[in-house]
Amino acid sequence: MSVLLEVNGISVSFDGFKAINNLSFSISNRELRAIIGPNGAGKTTFMDIVTGKTKPDAGTVLWGEKNLSLLRMNEAQIVEVGISRKFQKPTLIETQTVFQNLLLSLKKLRNPLSTLFYKLSIADENEINIIANEVNLTESLSVLAGQLSHGQKQWLEIGMLLAQKPNLLLIDEPAAGMTAPERKKTVDLLKKLSKNQSVIVVEHDMEFVKSLECRVTVLHEGGVLAEGSLDYVSQNDKVIDVYLGR
Amino acid sequence: MKKDFLNYINKANSFFWVSSIVILFTLIIILLSEAYGLNLVSTSFTKVLGKTLCLCIVALAMDLVWGYCGILSLGHFAFFGLGGYMIGMWLMFERTKNIVVESTQNNILPLTETEINEAVGTQIFGVVGGAEIPLIWYFADSLLIHIILILLVPGVLAYIFGWLAFRSRVTGVYLSILTQAMTLALSLYLFQNDSGLRGNNGLSGLQNIPNLDDFSQAELSIWFLILSALTLIFTYYICNLIVNSKLGNIITGIRDNETRVRFLGYKVESYKLFIFVITAIISGVAGALYYPQAGIINPAELAPIASIYLAVWVAIGGRGYLYGALIGAAFVSLASSYFTGGQIPNINFGLFTLKWVDWWVVILGLSFVITTLYAPKGIGGLIERIFRRS
Repeated sequence: MSVLLEVNGISVSFDGFKAINNLSFSISNRELRAIIGPNGAGKTTFMDIVTGKTKPDAGTVLWGEKNLSLLRMNEAQIVEVGISRKFQKPTLIETQTVFQNLLLSLKKLRNPLSTLFYKLSIADENEINIIANEVNLTESLSVLAGQLSHGQKQWLEIGMLLAQKPNLLLIDEPAAGMTAPERKKTVDLLKKLSKNQSVIVVEHDMEFVKSLECRVTVLHEGGVLAEGSLDYVSQNDKVIDVYLGR
Repeated sequence: MKKDFLNYINKANSFFWVSSIVILFTLIIILLSEAYGLNLVSTSFTKVLGKTLCLCIVALAMDLVWGYCGILSLGHFAFFGLGGYMIGMWLMFERTKNIVVESTQNNILPLTETEINEAVGTQIFGVVGGAEIPLIWYFADSLLIHIILILLVPGVLAYIFGWLAFRSRVTGVYLSILTQAMTLALSLYLFQNDSGLRGNNGLSGLQNIPNLDDFSQAELSIWFLILSALTLIFTYYICNLIVNSKLGNIITGIRDNETRVRFLGYKVESYKLFIFVITAIISGVAGALYYPQAGIINPAELAPIASIYLAVWVAIGGRGYLYGALIGAAFVSLASSYFTGGQIPNINFGLFTLKWVDWWVVILGLSFVITTLYAPKGIGGLIERIFRRS
């Protein structure tokens, strides 16, 4: 398995506070990975760095076989190479319908003129229907995104990631606000996705992480504390101390 | 049926609806005009109506950039003024040149090119104590180049300004202040006598169109009305095309959730720049049609207050509704010229006299406050609500 994303020794500090401290991390193609850690461990900042929202003070972030440096790209270029992100708080265009949200996410030319003269084709419409079906939103295609329930919003955002056909999905707290059956569906969906793409899930809910049945990286104070199967890391003394509690 | 009507005015069809009204309106004015009709509408009022159509055009631009893309620009009237200056230079130069040539027709020796230029220079720049024709008037004898400049000057200024501002991710009220600073700087610069555009005198006599001396002002006013109406319809078509396309979804997405659009892989800066430049060009064209009808342009026209008024029109008319911007601009600017025109008698309350000229600004301010509080979506939103309810 080849390495898809390789993060090497990154550090970033905000006003003297070291949010990320010499963190290294890598993920292979078609791997599902969960990142856990207490509040302030740097999980979201890590995603900010990978997606270009925050620039680190030191370290490298390399992408794909060609080892492209993500640090030299802006947010839009990073999306273009194939990294899509779901935010902790559902981030949708709430004033537009589910259909329009998905349409904007489709992998198409992204310059002003080509969007001005874009015509909705039957192929694109089918693609949107397939994605909507996958995230259980077929009934709600014409509903405004702002009117969806919290769980549905999470799903729509995942659907919007799917539409971009990324190689790596960064998913921040997907299970928040979901009922038990919805969680189960989300787990199934994420597992299915990881057959074709790499997926990084940040989650607090241990039950949810357990059901993903994947490798787990534990972050603490901006660095990696432990990495391995959930059973392995949950027996690690340091992990028990800072996160799980005795 | 009401719902059908609502969809009708909202969707692409609103173009048909708006253009029909504008055409009908223009035809009625022609029928009632002094030049070609029953002589019921005076030439000066025809000019007021023609100017109102130009203000509607710039309001459409403002609605696109603010109502749809969420950039509260307080500089679009500066682009409007620049468009006016660009056409004004040609109008003034060409006409002065014609007058100079005409007045020396009986000379035994015809004037050389240099002599003509010197005479024109003295005529135009005498008021600011100069006789030299500044370099920026180099192309002033070419209508074609000046028509291109009407598009180019506001467009390039908007591009440079927008590139700097959007690239640094300046948003919200900070961007508004920046655009206002740009407008103020431009206006102050034009007030300088050595700006090459006659300082605070501005350009005048623009109502006289060179080489069209056979046409009376009454006839010209009708032709400008028609030209303004056609440009308005064309602009509405373009704006309607933009807001109903995928591009329209993206710019309203930027307005409502910039982060999401950015992380969907769209270069938000390019989109903002695209809309900013397009609307600046539209404003420039509107200005170029407005000032020949107004007859005079001076730097005061570019003052920041004008751009603020523009925002007020669009707010009252309804942000995010193209037809709302038209209603707002037409209604408020006509009311404005009615109340400040001195036609309505002042009301004497004994202790104090209500002077409409002075109180109009207060009324306008109050209606802005009332709109913001009770109808945040403006007249366009009210129209929508009325039809949706029933």
